[in-house]
Amino acid sequence: MLADLPYLPVTEAAARLRRKEFSPVELTEACLERIAKTDGQLHAFITVTADLALEQARQAERELMRGSDRGPLHGIPIALKDLYATKGIRTTCHSAVLQDWLPDFTATAAVKLTEAGAVLLGKLGMHEFAFGGPATDAPFPAVRNPWNTAHVPGGSSSGSGAALAAGLCLGALGSDTGGSIRTPSSHCGIAGIKPTYGRVSRCGVVPLSWSLDHAGPMARTVEDCALLLQAIAGHDSKDPASVNIPVPDFRLELKRDIKGMRIGVPRENWFDEQKGTDRETETVFNAALRTLKGLGAIIVEIDGKPFANARKANQTILVAEAYAYHEKRFQEAPEKFGTSVRRRMLEGAFLSAADYIAALRARTVLGEQIRALFSHLDAFATPTVARPPETFDGLDPNEQNLRPNFTNPFNLAGLPAISVPCGFTEGNLPVGIQIAAQPFKESTVFRVAYAYEQMTDWHKRRPTL
Amino acid sequence: MPSDITLDELRLRSARAGLTLSDQELQHMLSGVNRSQEQAAVLRELFADEIEPAHHFLLVLKG
Repeated sequence: MLADLPYLPVTEAAARLRRKEFSPVELTEACLERIAKTDGQLHAFITVTADLALEQARQAERELMRGSDRGPLHGIPIALKDLYATKGIRTTCHSAVLQDWLPDFTATAAVKLTEAGAVLLGKLGMHEFAFGGPATDAPFPAVRNPWNTAHVPGGSSSGSGAALAAGLCLGALGSDTGGSIRTPSSHCGIAGIKPTYGRVSRCGVVPLSWSLDHAGPMARTVEDCALLLQAIAGHDSKDPASVNIPVPDFRLELKRDIKGMRIGVPRENWFDEQKGTDRETETVFNAALRTLKGLGAIIVEIDGKPFANARKANQTILVAEAYAYHEKRFQEAPEKFGTSVRRRMLEGAFLSAADYIAALRARTVLGEQIRALFSHLDAFATPTVARPPETFDGLDPNEQNLRPNFTNPFNLAGLPAISVPCGFTEGNLPVGIQIAAQPFKESTVFRVAYAYEQMTDWHKRRPTL
Repeated sequence: MPSDITLDELRLRSARAGLTLSDQELQHMLSGVNRSQEQAAVLRELFADEIEPAHHFLLVLKG
C-alpha cells in the first residue's frame, strides 16, 4: 500500500494525511524509496535531499498532529527544477558552469512552497540553462522519458515531467520561456501550467530570457496544478516583472461547466506550417476537441497567422537576452557550456540592437492581435507539441524550426496556458492538449482543462518501469 | 534581405564580440546564425517603424 503513495494526487494525499491513513514521513519515505529504485533509469534528479526531506516531513507530522495545518501542501513531497536557487543546496542548471554553485538565498517560489509546508525531495534535471536540447556532454546524464526511455521527455523542465510521470514526487516546479513547462508535460503525460507573465515571482530563478521567462507548477492533475499555483502566485517586489494584482482562489471556478464557452482553434495558416503537425498528434487533438464540444463548448476555427509569426520574434528575443545574460561566461570559458546550448545561445552574439527592437515591435503587434481575439473567444486550444517525443538517437536540433511551435506565442503574449494529457500514440507515447486564456485568467484555463480531464482517464495511466 | 554571413565574416564578428571560437565551431554555428539573421530581417520587413517596441521604462520611486 505504501509503495503506491507517490502516485497519489496532492488533493487525495492531503485528505488522507488528515485522516491519518499515513504520515508525511511515510509518504516522503515512499517517494525516496521509489527514487532510489527507479531513477537510475530516468536521471530525473540531479540532487536528492533525503535528509532535509525527512526533517521537513517530521516537522509537518508534528505540526499536523498538534492541529497546526498550513493547508493542502502541508507534508506533500515536491521537487524543483535545478534552476530554482536553494540556500545551501547545489543549484546547477544542469551545467558544468554552475555545477558547484551553493546559493546563499532561496527563490521566492521555493520559499512559498516551504511556507505552505511542502517537503523538498530534491533538484531536478533539465536542459542546460533551460535551452537547447538534452545535453549529452553535460556533467549530469540527460533525463529519460518514463514512457519509453529511448525517447526524450521534452524540455527544458525534463526532470519535472519525468519525475511526476514516474511517481517520484507529487508536485514540481518548472520554468517556461518558449514551452519548457508545457512540452515535458505533454511528452510525459502530466499537467503543467505556464501562468500569466508576472503572476509568479522569478526571483531566484536563473534567467534564460528575462522578458519571456515564467515560473510555474507541474503535477499529475489539473486541480493539483491549481493548488501549487495558489501557493506560489502573488506579488514580489524582488521581481521587477511581478504584477501587484489580487490572486483569486483558483479552485473556485474549477468545477463550473464549460457550456457555451467559445474556444478558438488557430488551425489555418499554422498547423500545416512547413513540415506541419504530425498526423497522429492532430487526430488525437481533434478527438479532444470533440470531447470539449460534447461538454457544451463551442469550437471556433480561427486564422493562425499571428501565432505562426510569433516564433521568429520569440526566438530573436530569447537568444538576444540569453546571450546578454551569459556573455561574460562565453567570453571567458565557452567550453564549459554543452555543445547544444553553446551553439544556439551564441547566435545572440551576432544579432544587432535593431534586430532585437524589431522583435519587440513584432511583440507589440502580435500581442495585440492575439489579445483582440478574446473579443469573441474565451480560450484557445492547440496540440501542445506538433509531434510525439523523438528518440534520443533521432534527435534533430533543427526539427523544432521545421514544425509549428504551439507554445511560444503564449510566452510572447504573456498569456496563461496549460498542457493536459489528451491521448496516446500507437507507440504508447503521451500527447497533450494546450488551453490558453486571457491574461490573469488562469481560472478559465483550469476550468476548461479540468472539465476535459474529468471526462477522460488519460491522466490516470502509468508508465511501466 | 541581407546576404548570408560567410565563415570569414563570422570569424571577424566573433573576434569583435570578444569570443574565442575555433573554425570548426564557427562552421557548425554558421547555419544557425544565418537562420537567426534571416528571422530578424523578416521581422524588420513585417513590422513598420511607427510601432513602439514592447519594452517600457517604468519609473518606480522607492521609499
